[in-house]
Amino acid sequence: MRLVNRLFCLLFVFAGANAGGPTLVLLDNLAIKETHSIFFKTLQDSGYVLTFKSADDANLQLSKYGEYLFEHLIIFAPTVEEFGGALSVEAITEFIDGGGNVLIAGSSQSGDALHELASECGLEIDEEGSNVIDHMNYDVSDKGQHTTIVADPVNLIDAPVIVGSKDIPPLLYQGTGLIADSDNPLILRLLSASTSAYTYNPDQQVKEYPHGVGKNTLLIAALQARNNARVLFSGSIFFFSDEAFTSPVQKGQGGQRYEKSGNQIVAKAIAQWVFKENGVIRVSSVHHHRIGESQPPVAYTIMDDVVYSIDVERLSGNKWVPYETNDLQLEFVRIDPFVRMTMKPVGNGRYEGRFKIPDVYGVYQFKVDYKRVGLTYLYSTTQVSVRPLQHTQYERFIPSAFPYYISAFSMMGGVFLFSLVFLHYKDETKSKSE
Amino acid sequence: MTALAVLHKFWLEYAKNTPKKLKIIDAYLLYVFLTGVTQFIYCCLVGTFPFNSFLSGFISCVSCFILGVCLRLQVNPQNKSQFHGISPERGFADFIFAHIILHIVIMNFIG
Repeated sequence: MRLVNRLFCLLFVFAGANAGGPTLVLLDNLAIKETHSIFFKTLQDSGYVLTFKSADDANLQLSKYGEYLFEHLIIFAPTVEEFGGALSVEAITEFIDGGGNVLIAGSSQSGDALHELASECGLEIDEEGSNVIDHMNYDVSDKGQHTTIVADPVNLIDAPVIVGSKDIPPLLYQGTGLIADSDNPLILRLLSASTSAYTYNPDQQVKEYPHGVGKNTLLIAALQARNNARVLFSGSIFFFSDEAFTSPVQKGQGGQRYEKSGNQIVAKAIAQWVFKENGVIRVSSVHHHRIGESQPPVAYTIMDDVVYSIDVERLSGNKWVPYETNDLQLEFVRIDPFVRMTMKPVGNGRYEGRFKIPDVYGVYQFKVDYKRVGLTYLYSTTQVSVRPLQHTQYERFIPSAFPYYISAFSMMGGVFLFSLVFLHYKDETKSKSE
Repeated sequence: MTALAVLHKFWLEYAKNTPKKLKIIDAYLLYVFLTGVTQFIYCCLVGTFPFNSFLSGFISCVSCFILGVCLRLQVNPQNKSQFHGISPERGFADFIFAHIILHIVIMNFIG
């Protein structure tokens, strides 16, 4: 009985391997574990196994014998100048290249390590000492520098799969700003500052043009790499703190007072997204065949009518459930797409496209390339060959070709008659000459 | 001398000096040539749709013409020195053999 119980436990652990997973948490000092306890508690409740380490711990390592020890990494160590042990900015970028997810929070005192890591990910953390300042949208609790700002949920990215609902109380933010490389298409601007914000050192007089001004200043930004690894940067570690989660919010210049900020809701949503609980889709199966058949042929013939269907699934909790949408496109590609069409959902996460193969033969691919904000990239190609008509498949006895037929036969008849006459005549000439 | 006079002279010479055997071949060549031209005009008017049929019909005419000319060269007594050892009978047998091959190919391709 006990053994069965154990087996059951083991099975349960494997089933839970999708959500949650081993996570390394790097902290400046262990006090952060207490000041951000609500956030860590939420993660632990949803199945994450958190390992807390100081960021300059001499025994830090992400991988052992070529395998990663952790699936996720949380860096709540803004001031760290250099990571301890085997950990370095290169090791972390390698971890991202290997598919690991990273959640990073900085502050106005961000160290070199975070600056380097951010620039590896196409972001720039503003220089040390600078804060996001907003003289219009600061919280009542602010001490006069207007650096504890109230971020409007309207400025969240338009993607419920990442940030959840936008109908939430305002967010409290205190920290530095991020600037995104505008050429980088993989960057997602999750939360931008309001138009009246800028980043500068609050203790200094503004002498130079600030790095981040208005909406260009990002408060939270994310990167979904081409290998679907997710990296999230927040300029404020305060954003995830118990204090921010539980504080009331009211704009300093009056306005509605909320008993609790929206930080906890957003922090939970983006943590779920960055650790791949949300927005993960995959192709489960692909079928294609001629209309009226059920198996794919060895090769299609030009002008065939084909049916292509694809099943797409979404990760929900630990299970894969059908993914429903109406904008999944199919391309039939031979170097260029010859056919591009939106597939029809036929229910249960299955999409179907019916089309006629073009009058051009060659090697083609059925291609589905689906990229949407917040979802993992869906890319599926199936190669098929399309051949021309066989020699016996061409149309015969076409009326407009009859003159050609007649001429060909008349050539034969002509040769026959000519031979008769020619042979006959030769004899006659011979006899004449004789 | 006008062009007309030249042509007239040419025709007279032709009628007088050409062996009758060659005249038969010339008549055959003219017939093949006219069939080919008719097909080409038809194709220009109707379009190239059964293109393989057009090609085989037209090419059969062109080939017949070429084979006819070859036969004419070999049979012509004036060229005897060039085709030393090839009798007119041998030339005709080659002509028929080439035609058999040609028409088998044409039938295969005409659709």
